[in-house]
Parts: sequence; structure tokens; C-alpha cells
Amino acid sequence: MSNLAVNSNLLETLSVLILLSSFVLMANKRINSYIKTFRIQSFLIALAAGIMGLRSLMSEGRWDFLVVCLLIMILKVLYIPNMLNKTYKNVSYKVEKDFILNIPILVLLCCGLVVFSYFTLSGVDGISQDVLNMQLVNSVSVIWIGLLFMISRKKAIGQIIGFLVIENGLYITAMYSTQGMPFIVDLGIFIDLLTFVLIMGVMTFRINEKFDSIDTDQLNNLKG
Amino acid sequence: MGILLLIVPLIAVLLLLTVKQSQFRHAISVGASSLLLILALRLNREVLLHGSVQYASYGGFFYVDALSMIVLDIVLIIGFMAAIFTPGYLEAEIKHDKIRRERLGLYYSLMYTFIFTMVLALTVKNMGLMWIAIEATTLSSAFLVGFYNDKHALEAAWKYVILCSVGIAIALLGIILLHLSSAGVLNSSSFLDWTALYAKAASLKSSVLRLAFIFILIGFGTKAGLAPMHNWLPDAHSQAPSPISALLSGVLLNTALYGIIRAAVIVNHNQGSSTFTGRLLIGIGILSIATAAVFILTQKDYKRLLAYSSIEHMGIIVVAMGLYSPLSVFGGLMHMINHSLTKSMLFFSSGNILQKYDTKQISKLKGVLKIMPVTGTVFLLGLFAIAGTPPFSVFASEFSIVVAVFNGPYKWVGVIFVLLLAAVFAGIAVTLLKIFYGEPGDENLQAGEVNLPGTVCLVILLVGIAVSGLYLPGDLKELITKAQGIILGT
Repeated sequence: MSNLAVNSNLLETLSVLILLSSFVLMANKRINSYIKTFRIQSFLIALAAGIMGLRSLMSEGRWDFLVVCLLIMILKVLYIPNMLNKTYKNVSYKVEKDFILNIPILVLLCCGLVVFSYFTLSGVDGISQDVLNMQLVNSVSVIWIGLLFMISRKKAIGQIIGFLVIENGLYITAMYSTQGMPFIVDLGIFIDLLTFVLIMGVMTFRINEKFDSIDTDQLNNLKG
Repeated sequence: MGILLLIVPLIAVLLLLTVKQSQFRHAISVGASSLLLILALRLNREVLLHGSVQYASYGGFFYVDALSMIVLDIVLIIGFMAAIFTPGYLEAEIKHDKIRRERLGLYYSLMYTFIFTMVLALTVKNMGLMWIAIEATTLSSAFLVGFYNDKHALEAAWKYVILCSVGIAIALLGIILLHLSSAGVLNSSSFLDWTALYAKAASLKSSVLRLAFIFILIGFGTKAGLAPMHNWLPDAHSQAPSPISALLSGVLLNTALYGIIRAAVIVNHNQGSSTFTGRLLIGIGILSIATAAVFILTQKDYKRLLAYSSIEHMGIIVVAMGLYSPLSVFGGLMHMINHSLTKSMLFFSSGNILQKYDTKQISKLKGVLKIMPVTGTVFLLGLFAIAGTPPFSVFASEFSIVVAVFNGPYKWVGVIFVLLLAAVFAGIAVTLLKIFYGEPGDENLQAGEVNLPGTVCLVILLVGIAVSGLYLPGDLKELITKAQGIILGT
């Protein structure tokens, strides 16, 4: 039993670290540091999935969490960040300021989002009786922080990373609240995510070609 | 049998990627979509006979009932029409150097991937898989929206993918909460299974379920183009090639609405009344109609005008579903069918007009009836139909929804609803009647139709919406009644 307690302590720590990594992401100034932080966050999630996987393998003989852990390692820790790095190298020719509000305000807004998700979720009975609560708050906060990140960044790659962080947040929400979605659904989500990143990579490239920049503020011709 | 609906588009994609000659590509596309239509007819009969079709094999994922059958019929009918319309459209675009011939294969394979993902969304029982399929519809149609590859098309495609993906991600949070609300009620083999959720709806955790519904409504609502999440829709619809605009507007929006309806049914079942979902749906529906009305009244681009009109009609359907009375649900389902047929007809004819005049500006179109008698007539009558003029079918379903609103608990909603419909009618009538009369200003324009098979398509659709406005075939009525029963839980 003590083994199990250590596990859940670890999981709680990881949940806080994942939230922290999204704060770090918000404070990042350059596109290559976004990609690094995203890689670290995904690695933490893979660790959490691995711990849960070992636990469910020992107690119920389920192996699907371990497969998911492996998939996260391959896709989100290795493949997607590498691909984004490559896209970035292809399109960048000068460093520009990439955010709308300044960073301290953004980080404060992030704190506000955590408080917001705490209050929304604690009002819902059925979620808020046990320890599950704080981990769920952390995970849902990651989703909102990802959304804020998307809004605050003007560059195409920043927006892609923002979406990936939202997806990370969704994934840990599912993992911490319901012991994961059905395996086939998880697989499908990975396929969708991979296609999303590939498509957005190509589009970033084309936008850079046509607009000579990946600043999405320039995409403002269609109105009314 | 039903599983063939998923296999045929996949085979079509493979064939379209391997075959190189344009004629064969056109032929494969028309062949595949006719095959799909025939399969759909057979499946219709089975659904009418047994109520629902599902197979124990394939992991038990395949499930079609009357509700999904209606949307599936729309997908395959509009898909068939688009397949007939596309060859003429694309050949003309190639002739005018708008697109290169090599990209035909890409166009067709993406179009059939798009159709495949929509069919998948409508034939699965598992809400999680449905979510995946709906997200995949965005991804497969992204390059179709940006197919012209110029600045405007790229901007539309970027907005489309970013907004819809984020919206859909929010819907996933809703699906996760739906899953959470069933913890301890369902066993692992039936997680997220719609029929199981429906059967056990009363014992799901209400508070979590309500939260789930809000997220699902926002998420799938983004995809259905409901205000205030509609910003991607006019851009995507106006920049995409016209057959794709028809598919987006006539089919994709309904697929997303279908997701909302499925979730609303479970919540209503759980709550024992429709007050919670009803208020949300009616509110968001009225907001959509109002937003669309404002933009229709001031619109200068006719494809964008049609796009805003789609937002309006999605709003009408959502209001109907929110009222949740037998009449309104029947009207709403009928409106789904009628809007899709009418709107895709309008987008097809706007494609013809666009190719002739080479402009999307309303002010630059003059004397369409003289230059293109058939397309012009169809476009004119279609616009009257979409604005809700009898004897067309859109009027019939709108009328039953209006009656249902006034019979419902919120009479003042009825007043706003009717006023907004009148505003939209005025907007469409005033802006577009200018197009049809007057002398064509440009001397170089030669009278005559483009794309003959496509024009035949238009006439068939026009006859269809005119006839179904007066007389509803018995089988269709039975199908809608069955779907109404599923939604109302009777």
C-alpha cells in the first residue's frame, strides 16, 4: 500500500509541475524556448502516464496506459517539437517581439485563470468531494492557460504551440479525472493531433511564402 | 452492408490518388458518390424497418438510427450533387488558369476524405469517436478551403483550422466531463457509448453533465457556426471553391449540430425537462439569427451573404431544438433537410455566376437573368426560397417552427424571432434583386450557361425543394417522425 501512496504523491507533484511548466511557457519570449518548454511539459505528462500505466498494469493488468505513454514520448516529446523546430528554421529570418501584453501581466492573468477554474469546479458537486479535486483544477487551468497563450501570441508557431498545450491540458484532465478515455478514443486523438500539426506546418510555410512573415496579425483582409 | 458506406469513400480516395487521367478521376468521383447514394437508400429502408441498424462485429461501433440517417441522407445527397457539379466547375477553373491540372487528384482525394469523416461521425455510437471524426472533418477540409492558395484563401483556411480546432478542443473537455458523469454507472465496455448513456441517463451525475453540455454546445457550436463563435464561417464559405462551399454549408454544419442534439437528448433525459438545454439553445440560436441579420443587411459579397444566411438557419434549427416540443423538433429536422438542399443549390449557382462574372461583389453583377437564364432563375428563386417564401420547403418548416415558438413557454421569443426573420428577408430581397435586372454593364460577357451537368443538378434541386414544400413523401415523414421520437424520448 505504501507503494501506492508514493505513486499518488508523485502524480500530485507531477500535476503541479505540469501547471508550472505552462506558467513558464507563458513567460517565454522566443519561439525556440516555447518549443523547449512544450517538450518538457509533454515529458512530464508522459511520466505521469507511465506511472499510472505501471499502477494499472500491476493492479488490473491493463497495458493501454503504457502504450499511450510511449506514444506521447514519440509524438509530443520527440517528433512534434523537432518538426516545429524545422518549420521555425525554414520561416524565421529575424527575431520580432511576439506578444501583445507584457509578460508580468500575462503571468498574473494565468494566476487568475487558476483561481477561476478552482471556483468553477468547486461549485460542481460530483467533482469536488475528494483529493481528485486539486489535480483536476491544475489540469483544467492548463487548458485555459493554453487558450490565453494562443490569444497573446501573434506568430503562427506560437498559436500552434498554444493549441498543443490546450490538448495537453485536455489529456491530463481526462487522465486525472477518469483514468483516461477509452483506448481507441485516445488513439484517434493522437491521429488527429498529428494531422493537425502536419497541416499547420504546411500552412505556416505557405503563409510565410505569401505574406513574407508568419505574423498572423497580417491575416486581416476578410471582414464583414 | 452499412459498413460499405465507410469503405467506398476510402477506396475512392486510394483510386483517385493512383489514377492520373482527369477523365477517370471525374468518373471515379461520380461513380463513388452514386454508389454511396444507392447504399444510403438501402440503409434507409433498414432503418425504417428496424428503427436502428447496428452490427455486433467491428467492435460494435457502427450504429445508425433515424436521427443519424436523416443527416447521413443529407450528406450523401449533397455529396452526389457536388460530385456531378465538380467536373464542369474544375475544368473551367483549369481553363482560366485558376488552378493547375495536377492538383485535381489532391482536390478529389481530400473531398472524399472529407465525406468519409462526415459519414464516420454519423455512423458511430461512441461519443468520443464521433468527436474524433468531427475534428477530422476540419482537418480534411482545411486545404480544400485554402485550395486557391492565394492570400485570402490562406487567411480563411488558417482561421478555419485554428478557430474550429480550438472550439472542438473545448468540446473534448465536454466529452471528458460526460465520461466523468458516467463514472460508476457504465462499465468499461460501454464508456461514452451513446445508447448506454441514453438508457442510463437518469443515474448520471446531473451537475457534471450540465457542465459537460455547456462545453459541448460551445465546442460543436463553433463548428456549426453559431454566434458568437461564427467568425470563421463567412471567410471559409466565401473563399472555398463553390462545390466545397456547398458541402461545408449544407452538410458540415448539420454534422456538428447533430453532435449537439445527441448531447442535448442525454441531458434532457437526465434532467427530466428541457429547461436547462432549452434556455441555452434558444439564447444562442436567437443571437445567431440576430448577428446574421445585421451582416446580411449590409453585405456586399454574395458568397458571404449566403454564408451569413447559413448562420441564420443554424440559429433557427437550434431554437427549434431548444423548444423541444413535438412540432418544433419535427420542424427543426425538416428545416435541416430543406436548408441543406436550398443552400447547396445556391452555392452551386453562385459558382456558375462567379465563373461567368469573375467577381464576388454584388454591385458588379448586373443582368444575371439575361446572361444566364437557367442559373439566374434558379438563383433568384433559390434566394426567395432561402428567405422563406412559399411554396418552397424552407417556408413550410420555418412556419411550423414559428407556430411552435408561439405555442411554447416563451412568447416574447416568438416576437423577436419573427422580427429577425423579417429583417433577414428584407436584407436578402433588397441586396439581391439588384443583381437580376438591369443591363449587363460589361460588353465582353457572352450570354450562355457554363457547366451543363451542374446546371441540370441545379434544376433537379429546385424542383426538389419546390415539391417538398407542398408534399412530404410518406417514407421521409416516417423517418422524421422516428427521429423526433428519439429526440423527445418517446
